[in-house]
Amino acid sequence: MNGILRVAAAALLLHITPVVVLIKRPAAVQALLPGASAYFQRDLHLSDRDAHRLHEVVDWSPENDVLTFYLGRAGSTAVGALEFVRVDTPHGPIEVAVGFTAEGAVRQVLVTKATVEMKPWVQDATSAGLLMSYAGLQPTQSPTGAAAITGKTGALAQYVAGEVDKGVQRALTAYRLFYQPAATRS
Amino acid sequence: MLYDLGRAIPQVKWLITCLLATFGLAYLFGSLMVALYAGFTPARVAATYAGPGMTMPMPPETTVTVEHPMQMEDFARPEVHTVDTDLLIQDTHVHVPMYGLFAAALSVIVLGLPLSRAVGVGLVTLLFAAPWLDFAGMWLTKFVNPHFAIATIAGGYVMGLGYTVVSVLAVRRMWFSRTGGAP
Repeated sequence: MNGILRVAAAALLLHITPVVVLIKRPAAVQALLPGASAYFQRDLHLSDRDAHRLHEVVDWSPENDVLTFYLGRAGSTAVGALEFVRVDTPHGPIEVAVGFTAEGAVRQVLVTKATVEMKPWVQDATSAGLLMSYAGLQPTQSPTGAAAITGKTGALAQYVAGEVDKGVQRALTAYRLFYQPAATRS
Repeated sequence: MLYDLGRAIPQVKWLITCLLATFGLAYLFGSLMVALYAGFTPARVAATYAGPGMTMPMPPETTVTVEHPMQMEDFARPEVHTVDTDLLIQDTHVHVPMYGLFAAALSVIVLGLPLSRAVGVGLVTLLFAAPWLDFAGMWLTKFVNPHFAIATIAGGYVMGLGYTVVSVLAVRRMWFSRTGGAP
């Protein structure tokens, strides 16, 4: 009987709560590509070699090995690009949106989705200044959001900040390896 | 019959009634969540689990870039919720044990009903077959053929059917049958 109760307790503890939208996509796009009047979706269907290269660097593969960048333009001027990156955690997925300026630095980062359980952790981390720590990052740099809020918030917000860091790192690496070379060619 | 819900003490009957009501609530919201994230048609379930990967099963020799213009309204379109392999592993890992416990609890209730051996075995099989069908459908949809979405839909309906049959029989036996009087 004890065994059954332990399994039941473990199943309840592990049950993942539903995902909620924290920021709708149009609002995220307007915030991350300010002033853009035309938008483009660029899908990169990665070859085995490129998918492996990305996985080696950040221990991650995008869904179906397709990287998607959204580009914004105002007339003939490039406003920048953005990526939505999902991070799977033991508490369920979160989605991080990373916007880049036309010059290639991080303009802003937003957490657009989280599970019901993680939503308050994200809000606590955001209040502690997590998202501000990413502005200006170059694609060759590493995010240090979790370290930036150390001592300013609780352990769960600190934990989720580490997961957001992972999402930002994936976006930076994908941008550096696949967006910048393509942009240079075009 | 040593274990007969009809002759159980009122506290046990009340416990089982509360358990069934709680399961009913969980199933109701479970079905609402399915409606939100995957839908009830084979096409929507296939889109959720098969994903765009089914349209490009082999990776290209070199990375292929495809670009097309978008309107702001395109970003506002409801997203197709997709479940990739990693998420499906996680979903299977956390849901299957819970479904097993639900099926076990409902099966214990079945054991207290005056049913023939064949009907009892059939009902217990139905209760455990539902989650198997549900998750087998998801995996087969992803890796074999999107048409297996029908198995996931069937699993969901079998789950609902099993719960309804057990609930109706148990409530009738406990509260509305003559032999279900005083213990």
